[in-house]
Amino acid sequence: MVSSDVRNKYKVTIGIECHVQLKTKSKLFSGADNDAKVASPNTLVNHIDFGLPGALPVVNKEAIHLASRAAFALGTQPQLFSKFDRKHYFYPDLPMGYQITQFDLPIVVGGGVAIEVGGEKLVIGVTRAHLEADAGKSIHPPGKDYTLVDLNRAGTPLLEIVSEPDMHSPEEAKAYVQELYLLMKYADVSEANLYYGNMRFDVNVSVSQTDELGTRTETKNLNSFRSVEKAAEYEINRQIELLEKGNTIAQETRGWGEAKQKTLSQRGKEEAHDYRYMPDPDLPPVTLSPEYIDSVKQEMPLMPGQWRDLLEPLGLTFDQIESLIEAEVDHTSISYLSLLKNDLQNKDQVIGTANMMINTEIPLRREGNLPEISGEQRARIYNELDDLLQAKQLSSTAAKSLLGDLLAATDTPEDIKAFAEGKGYIQISDSNEITNFVKSVIADNPKAVEELKAGETKVIGFLVGQVMKLSKGKANPGLAQDLIKQELGL
Amino acid sequence: MAQLTRDDIIRLASLARLDLSDEEITHFSVELSKILDYVEQLQGVDVTGLEPTSQVTGLLNVQRDDEIKSYGYDPIVLLENVPEVEDNQIKVRRVL
Repeated sequence: MVSSDVRNKYKVTIGIECHVQLKTKSKLFSGADNDAKVASPNTLVNHIDFGLPGALPVVNKEAIHLASRAAFALGTQPQLFSKFDRKHYFYPDLPMGYQITQFDLPIVVGGGVAIEVGGEKLVIGVTRAHLEADAGKSIHPPGKDYTLVDLNRAGTPLLEIVSEPDMHSPEEAKAYVQELYLLMKYADVSEANLYYGNMRFDVNVSVSQTDELGTRTETKNLNSFRSVEKAAEYEINRQIELLEKGNTIAQETRGWGEAKQKTLSQRGKEEAHDYRYMPDPDLPPVTLSPEYIDSVKQEMPLMPGQWRDLLEPLGLTFDQIESLIEAEVDHTSISYLSLLKNDLQNKDQVIGTANMMINTEIPLRREGNLPEISGEQRARIYNELDDLLQAKQLSSTAAKSLLGDLLAATDTPEDIKAFAEGKGYIQISDSNEITNFVKSVIADNPKAVEELKAGETKVIGFLVGQVMKLSKGKANPGLAQDLIKQELGL
Repeated sequence: MAQLTRDDIIRLASLARLDLSDEEITHFSVELSKILDYVEQLQGVDVTGLEPTSQVTGLLNVQRDDEIKSYGYDPIVLLENVPEVEDNQIKVRRVL
């Protein structure tokens, strides 16, 4: 680990490439099923995926559509003209001997991703994003001298998003990939399931003491936000240590060892790549009309940045907003943001309702204990809950329990107040009833009453506690306190 | 006049995963040099104002709907062309 003094001598530069698996039903260039998660090896394949001679790839319309949506999510719009190229290299999981990708005229050029790190707002530039076909999956059985290849994933549509080298710390790298994840989820272009590798990150890191960029290394195939941050951190330290010792950095590809939490050189002295790109003669270029681009723009839902702009003026804090924005993608049928924005009867309840979501509904849903009920049902629950709280008929603890009960029911009770009463959540706010409890508590606790009268103000808490006990927890404690003072003439 | 060296040919062959005999290396260094000469000749043509050609078919936007399609055979037959198969996977020399 290098000291912060040494670290501060160096300028860190990070750029990230991200492969996003698009959620099409079929593959990018063939009609094979695109869902390779659980299928047996080599069952979701055909002559196109196998690259048999004479097979003709035809591009999937929906992949173009999803890439166009992604363009808007990245703050730009898709290109009017793009085309496909062949990138040649040899690997057993690439049966054609080339990958179909987009070289000089990709479908997305430019764009940016807004992030906030330590209170500072930044925009990380996007150089480009291009469509390409994924390769197959190689398995290397331990102790064997062979590799096994499954081509189910070959031909899956990927959008590779290439950032500018605009990040300067592991925290910024992590914030960028997190925001990219949210953008892809909100734009609904990918399942973005990190566990299944739907988003994979390659992190390029270099350090330099001058304005000129240092030699970079690329750590490939990271599949979590945390590993992006850790790998960047590790590489920065490793490179600075090497340079401090007077060594040089080898430009190389590295892998991330999750177990050891370090990057490892993957290919030794690699032959400089010569991919011999050429336009793919099998695939006519893609042109998009301004009308089509506009129709995609019209169908775009609100992006996280737009939600932040809408929620900030409502008085929510940064952390509250981020919790809600992250939770929004947990379930397709449960929206927190639109409920807060559109369905509350009382604008003053936004903060209270947001807190109930963050403290109760979101954690319960993440535990997987709640049915997915409709937005109307949930809006009614939150609105009636707010009514009961405003009328001081619910304590905050009771409100939390009541909310849990209501969200757990597939059919929301017609009369929520009656339901709450039945469950014993409604507190007694009737002065006469509480005065009766207060009178008997005063009669039963003469010593405490004397102390209170003598100025031991803390004792009132004890007396309120006794009223709560006597009322089986249902008395409104604020009201009980007022009535005790009133009875004793304090 | 382009002149590819033997080393150029050896490197090209290795990129293309081709195993060439000494005789073939000599043969191709002459032949490929001639092809390069032809390309040089083409490069002399004035193309000012011409759009780059990425396709000669004149076609645009040949696309298919996003539907899972059966091509009328069991995918397992594809493995019949594979030299070695284990558990329905393609068996190759170890690569990692």
